[in-house]
Order: sequence, then C-alpha cells, then structure tokens
Amino acid sequence: MAVKLLKSKTGEASSHKYETLLKLTILSLGAILSFSTRLFSVLRYESVIHEFDPYFNYRTTKFLAEEGYFAFHNWFDDRAWYPLGRIIGGTIYPGLMVTAAVFHYVLNFFNFLVDVRNVCVFLAPLFSSFTTIVTYLLTKELKNESAGLTAAVMIAIVPGYISRSVAGSYDNEGIAIFCMLLTYYFWIKAVKTGSIAWAAACSLAYFYMVSSWGGYVFLINLIPLHVFVLMVTGRFSHRIYVAYSTLYCIGTILSMQIPFVGFQPVQSSEHMLAFGVFGLAQILAFIDYLKSKLTQEQFDTLFHAVFSLFGIIVIGAVSVLLITGKISPWTGRFYSLLDPSYAKNNIPIIASVSEHQPTAWSSFYFDLQLLVFLFPVGLYVCFSNLNDANIFIILYGITSIYFAGVMVRLMLVLAPVMCIMGGIAVASLLGKYIKDIDQGSKSHEKKTVKGRDSQQSQSRRSEISMAFVGMLTFFMVMYAFHCTWVTSEAYSSPSIVLSARSYDGSLIIFDDFREAYYWLRMNTPPDAKIMSWWDYGYQITAMANRTILVDNNTWNNTHISRVGQAMASPEDKAYEIMRELDVDYVLVIFGGLTGYSSDDINKFLWMVRIGGSTDRGSHIKEQDYYSSNGEFRVDREGSQNMLNCLMYKMCYYRFGQMYTEGGKPTGYDRVRSAEIGNKDFELDVLEEAYTTEHWL
Amino acid sequence: MATSTSRNIFVFSILLVFLAQWAAFGNASKRKEASTLSLAERVQQLTDLSNKRPVIRMNVAKFNEYVKGTPRNYSVVAMFTALSPQRGCSICGAANEEFTIVANSFRFNSQVFSNKLFFALVDFDEAGSIFQSMKLYTAPVFIHFPAKGKPQSHDKMDIQRFGVEAEAVARWIAERTDVQAVARWIAERTDVQIRVFRPPNYSGTMALIIVSIVVGGLLYLKRNNLEFLYNRHAWGLASLFIVFCMTSGQMWNQIRGPPVVQRTQNGISYIHRSSQGQLVVETYIVFLLSSAITLGMILVIEAGKGKADIRKRRVMLVAGLGMFALFFGMILSIFKSKAHGYPYSFIMS
Repeated sequence: MAVKLLKSKTGEASSHKYETLLKLTILSLGAILSFSTRLFSVLRYESVIHEFDPYFNYRTTKFLAEEGYFAFHNWFDDRAWYPLGRIIGGTIYPGLMVTAAVFHYVLNFFNFLVDVRNVCVFLAPLFSSFTTIVTYLLTKELKNESAGLTAAVMIAIVPGYISRSVAGSYDNEGIAIFCMLLTYYFWIKAVKTGSIAWAAACSLAYFYMVSSWGGYVFLINLIPLHVFVLMVTGRFSHRIYVAYSTLYCIGTILSMQIPFVGFQPVQSSEHMLAFGVFGLAQILAFIDYLKSKLTQEQFDTLFHAVFSLFGIIVIGAVSVLLITGKISPWTGRFYSLLDPSYAKNNIPIIASVSEHQPTAWSSFYFDLQLLVFLFPVGLYVCFSNLNDANIFIILYGITSIYFAGVMVRLMLVLAPVMCIMGGIAVASLLGKYIKDIDQGSKSHEKKTVKGRDSQQSQSRRSEISMAFVGMLTFFMVMYAFHCTWVTSEAYSSPSIVLSARSYDGSLIIFDDFREAYYWLRMNTPPDAKIMSWWDYGYQITAMANRTILVDNNTWNNTHISRVGQAMASPEDKAYEIMRELDVDYVLVIFGGLTGYSSDDINKFLWMVRIGGSTDRGSHIKEQDYYSSNGEFRVDREGSQNMLNCLMYKMCYYRFGQMYTEGGKPTGYDRVRSAEIGNKDFELDVLEEAYTTEHWL
Repeated sequence: MATSTSRNIFVFSILLVFLAQWAAFGNASKRKEASTLSLAERVQQLTDLSNKRPVIRMNVAKFNEYVKGTPRNYSVVAMFTALSPQRGCSICGAANEEFTIVANSFRFNSQVFSNKLFFALVDFDEAGSIFQSMKLYTAPVFIHFPAKGKPQSHDKMDIQRFGVEAEAVARWIAERTDVQAVARWIAERTDVQIRVFRPPNYSGTMALIIVSIVVGGLLYLKRNNLEFLYNRHAWGLASLFIVFCMTSGQMWNQIRGPPVVQRTQNGISYIHRSSQGQLVVETYIVFLLSSAITLGMILVIEAGKGKADIRKRRVMLVAGLGMFALFFGMILSIFKSKAHGYPYSFIMS
C-alpha cells in the first residue's frame, strides 16, 4: 500500500506542501509497520524474551537498572562459568544494556511505570522503526527521495532483518543495525560536505556501534576501504581527507573506552586497514601540499628518496611487532570468514552453531525475496552513475553479500543494503514510466524526446507504462505478502515456549522450559551448581538464578569440552568428572515425548565432538557412538557406548514405561521414530529430581 | 590426466601378462589343496606380488589361497569393486585411485610391516563368485581380513561414514590393524600408521602461474595506458558476477560440496527437495534465472532512457517485462517445490 502512495506522490509532485505531507505519512506508516510486524510473537504468546543470549542481556540489564552503571562496570559474576566466574563489565558490549536502562529510567522518570523486561522486549522493534527512518535518510543521500521512501518501506518488513529484531529478541544486533546505518548516513554526509561536524557525528555514531556489537569490525574496515578505493580512482580530495581523519582519530579514541575493546583498535590486524589508510591519507595530503610548493624535479627526487626509506621502515616495524606478538593474529571467527573451510576443520565449537553455517540460495530467497533480483539492478544503476557516495554503497553491497554467503547470520548486515539497492532500483524503474502515465493529463511536462512523438504512440506508450507499473506494484505487493508470511511462520516463535497443533487442530503450548527453571529456582539451595549443555546456560542464570558451569559465551573451549565429556561418559566416569566440577544438579532437555526435535539427544553428537576435541577427552571418539551401520541410533542397534552414557540414561530414565503414541510399544521416541534400546535401568549415582509435565 | 591413463594401460598390460603366467601356475596347482603352500611360501609370493604392484589383483583361486587360506600371520585389506566401464560405477574409480595411494604409501614408508599387511583388489567381473560367498551386493567395499579368524562386522569399512579419501582409508586400516597388533606384536610394535603421500597436484599452482603471467603480460603490454583498469563496465560486470555467485549459493557449494545431481526413484532430480540443501546443477539454474530476471529489469530501465528510436525501445521494454515476469515465476515455482507449505506462486504453480 505504501508503494501505491509513493506512486501517487511522485505523480502529483506539483504541490510542495502536499508532497511533504505524503512523505511524512509514508515514513511514519513505515515506522509503525516495522514496529507492528514484529509483534507477532507477543500477540501469540506473551511478552517473553526469546532464545538464549537475550536472557543474559536481560539479566545484565536488570542489574544495570537496579545497581547503576559503576556497579555494573565492576560486576564479577560468580553464577556463570563455575568455578571460574566471569567479569561482566569487561567482557560484553554494554551499548544494548545501557540503551535499555536509559529508556527504562526515562520512562519511570515520567511516571510511566514499565518493567525492565518489557523495555527489553520492545527495544528491538522500536529500534527497527528508527532504522526505517535512517534508511530513508541514507538512501535519499545516495539517490533521491522516492528511492529513499521505497527503501524505507522495504526495510520495514524485510525478513532478513526481522529475524533478529522481533519483539523479545533482545540482542545486540537489534540496535546495532540502526547504529551501523546511522554511521553510514553521517559518513556519506561527511564525504559530501567535508565538514568536521558531520564527521564528528559519524564518529559518535561509530562509538555507539562499537559499544553495542562486535560487528563494528565490518564497519571500520568498510569505511577505510571506501577511502582507499576513492584514492585509487583519483577521487581523493580535501573533503575526504577531513572526513576520514576526523572519524579515525575521534572514533578510535572513543572506541577504546569500551573495556571489552580496549587496545584492540591499535593492535589487532582487524583494525590495521583503517590505520594504514589513515597513514596513506596523511601521506597523500602531504604530497599534494608539497606539489603545490615545489617544482616538478625537486618533487620527484624527494618522492623517490622518501618512498624507499619509508617502505623499509614500515616493513621492519611491522615484522618486529608481529614477532613480539604486539599485533595479534586474526581471531577464529573472523578468519573463518576469509577462508570458508577454516572453521569447519579446526574449531568444532564454531561450526556447531547453526548461525555460522553457509547460506544456501533458498535462504537468500527466503529472507529477501524480490530484493535478490532488485539488488543487481540497483548495483547496475549505481555503476552507471558513479559518484563518491555510490562507490560506498557498491562496496558495502559487494562485501556484505560475500560475508552473507559465508555465514547465515550475516544476512543481517546484507539486508539493509539490499533494501537500499532495491529502493534505488525501483525508483529508477518507476521514475520514467510514471512520468509517461502522467503525460496524458499534465501539460507542463518537461520537454523530452516524447515531445516529438506522435499523439497516437504517446497514448500507447502510456498504456505500456501503465501495464509495467501495475506489474511492478503487483510484485511489491507480493513481496509484502511474502515478508508477512515468513515473519509469522518462521521468525516469531520464542524458543522458550513451544507450541504445537494437536490432532483436533487446537493449539497446545508447552511451557516446560520455564517450569523447569522455576522448579530450580524454588527447590534447590541458592548455591547449587547446575550442569547443563551450554545452550541453556544463560537461561538458567537468568530465570533460575543458579550457578552454572558453561554458558553461551563460548570463550573457554576446554571447560565446555569437560562438560561434553561428562555427558558422553558412562555414569561412573561422569560421576568423577561431576565431583571434580562440584556439580549438584544436572539439567537435560528431552523432546522424545513431545516431538521437540532440537533436544539434547540431537545435540549429543556435538557434545561428543567438542568433548573429544581436547586432550583430556581424547578417549571419546565420535565413531564409538554410532551403531555398526554408521548411523546415530538410540534403539536396540545403537552402540553400547551410546546406550550407557550419562546423557542417554538421564533422558530416557523411566521412559521405558511410557506410552507415547497410539499403536507403538512403550518407550517410543517420537523425535527419532524409534523404540529406545535400553529400557529398564536405574540411575546409580544420580537421582531424578524433577521431570516437567511434558518430559521436556 | 593423460599420463594416468597411459599408466593405467601400461599397468593393465602388465597385469595381463601376469595373469597369464598365474593361470598356468594355477592350473598346475589346482589339483592340490589351496593350503598346501606353506606359510612362508605364501608370504614370500605375496611380498613378490606386492613388490611388483602394491595392490594385488585377485581372482577366485588366488583369493582362496592367500586371503582365505590358513594359517596366516598377515592381514589383508581387500577392496571389492567393479571397475569395468560398462558397470558405470564412478565412485569405484575414485575409490580405486585412493586405495592405490594408500597401498603405495604403505609400501614406501613402513618397511617393517611390509610382510604383515597386504592390499588386494577383487573385481566383480573377474571374480563374481567371491562377492556371492562374501554376501556382498554393493561396491566398492573395503574389508579387512585379520591375521587370525574371520572378518568381524567392524572389519568392514563403512564408506558412507568414512568416505573413500586416502586419508580416511589409512586411518581406518590403522585402527583395524591396531586391534590385532596390540595382541601380537606388543614387543616390537611401532604403530602401523600409514602416512599418506599424495602425488602432489600441480594444477592449482599452474593455473595461478598462468593467470599471473596473463595479467602481468597485459599490464606490461598496456603499461602506457592503464585506463582499462578504470573501466566501470568491467568492474560493474565483475561485481554483478560476484553477486549472482553469492545469491545462487556457490559459497555453500564450496564449503559443503554437494552432489551435482541426485538419483531418485523418479529418475535424476536436479533440485534438492528440502530448503536446507541444494545441488550443484540447481545453483547453476538459479544463477541463470536470476541473471535473466536482472537483465530483464535492466532492459526496462534502458528502454526508459530514451536514446534509441521508439520502436526499438518498445521492443526492449516488452522483452524486459516478459523476461522479468516469466523467470520470476520460474524461480518462484522452484522455491515453492523446496519450501513445503509456501503459499504463493506466480504464472507457474
């Protein structure tokens, strides 16, 4: 519908006031749309926080809101990573929590009594409304206002972005995309005007970005890349010099204020491009200055001498720093972007996370639909009309599409540029033809080639144009339908509350996760240590308020591996490990009764792999857990190791006496469609503490 | 490639000669029982054979003699396969190459055990009866015949799980021989680890060298005029190419290595049936379709620019529009067949 409005806007561009009104209407509609389309899950379930990481963010935000910033900064969390603990202030990006806490504070100051949890739940949709507006501004700078409006409406509903910013997914990415686009907007402004004020604004936005997401590394490589390309193509000018120097100086100093980032901006290789380009910009500017003062011959001699001297010094300095280890090598996650097979072969813990998988074409289509095809068209339009700003958006598009191809989760970075390019493409597709339609009614049309055409061909042309515009509108409407469908089907279910359709079509809601956490909170001593697989770590600390061994911040591979070994060992061995780790309770998630497929048995192979990846767990081999045919089975034919390990025993304890599905024997596992192999057994060293209603 | 075929032919002819000799010998000894040869004799013969060629090709008689015959103090790793072209077993060829690499590697770097482990090959067309007696219905199969007793279930290598790469085969053999080795050669044991030596593959290096020569040459020839580096059409095309590669999932292919096509009951299918996976051919189709859609839209834009004459522009417009609609419908229908329950379609169902 917004597209239609847009069309009428470009059509009746006569009255200035009317146009402004329409623009505002479209923008505010877009913003409201982007907010409301993300509310599916709240309407369907309730205002809960989704997934795993957001629980940690929620817990820290609550702490921040209650205790104040300085206590937050110095917070040593003894609930996580037992027995190591975790220094929260120094190991997270605080931007998200601070934002939410500020919103909470402001609202309460004006006596709108809102819970911290509700602020957290609705923060991501709110910021996506902001993103809509920023996208409009950015695209307006790149092309024109109609492109901006189209892009804004597109980004309001693009599934690739919604996937990370539905209500309740309270995660860094939710606000980081806003920060990123804001930074780009200011950067384009700074490049266009060359004013220090815009560049300073840009570095402030950059600071906000750094404080909220680790993905800022993409940003601090993209902007220097832009400057570099401008240098190579001979477009380097004083405007860019001013903009980049200001941004780099202020931005770097500000980013170093984040404790988690620390001295990385001047030490790690990821930031070296920015530093190198900064140096290059100084040199180029200096050369320009010298050129204006010296004769050509003097300049040439000086240039050669200085160039060779400088080159030797730089190479020497870099190699010394590399040898002494001052410049850190690239971190694993980043390296896995450059060499796609790196992570798969070397770090099982990175490969185990589904967000780090490569992207199949269907997920591109699923997340972007029409934009997949509009993007190249936008690219074409940008190429046929190159300027400083367009070069930036081209670079952004190409780099982000590469990264999105390597890792599904980086689709998020790609989605905004897809929308911007799509907006540009649609604007240039529509622009000409809408004018043609208008031509029939408007007499004061610009003098173009059309003036020479005969009256008859003009009317036919207007028909063709009408057909084309109609079809494009149809496609846009289809895009809107697709986006809504994807959002409601795929991205709006909080993984903490599950739902299923029963045979008569009514909705059953499984709330076993929360039941289990609540039980832990109420029935265990406050200093109990709970062992679970790392996915559930954040949720246990946030909802049950108990100490856990490992959580979703996977920085310590050996510790996670130890837990994996415990889960994969037979009971007596596992008991030793658990004594060593001082465990009181063990939590497993089992979906055999309800048919919930991402339970611990299905994650078990990753536990084995991660458990076996360190020295102490080298006796755990993946093959031992396969049946003789090389399959992963839980029934009679499963391997003995599998049927006797701790995880199996805990999951299927007393399951052998359960009838789960009509016509099937007892102990029938609905996820793996098999009757379990080891039915009657007793737990020797553990005892069953509590099993939730649906055995989850 | 050419060298390897010629080598194969050469080997094949050796094999023929050798088979002829052996047939004569076999006929002579056929009337005796297979195990009349003493252990030492058999080991000696096997060693000789494997010195000629690391993978010993077996027929029925030889198989009964060396592999089934008792007593043994050596293990045999046999590959059961069907190499003849009319069988059309492509993986057998690949497996054979890998197996030969393993055998060669073993010969060249574990001299100590050269008479403890032998590599054998049984072809279905030469010795089909062995397949029947072993109850084998598929090929290729790797079976380890331990020095004592019959092969157990774990002595059969599961290529579904391990793959047929030389490294995997070597690791598997090391594990299996470990089992026996621990019992028997405790004192003298050094691990039967087969370090795989692959004949190095120069094609990547060659390609790199050729590309750099071509680029360097072009730059050298055109050194007075570097304008072509600033050609925006070239850059534009290159970036469009990258975009299509990525959106059609070539990176996924690169990392996951899916099969080119899939065989199902209904013949060959080019489209993977779930949205989680994709086939190589499928990505090419998507690549072409999406570039066609884009081309259609670009035609529409160009038609609107108004430089060429009116008729030509109208043709461009209609063609572009048609391409856009048609190919979009096609890609939508492909997607719909992959994502089950997707409600929308256009032109095609």
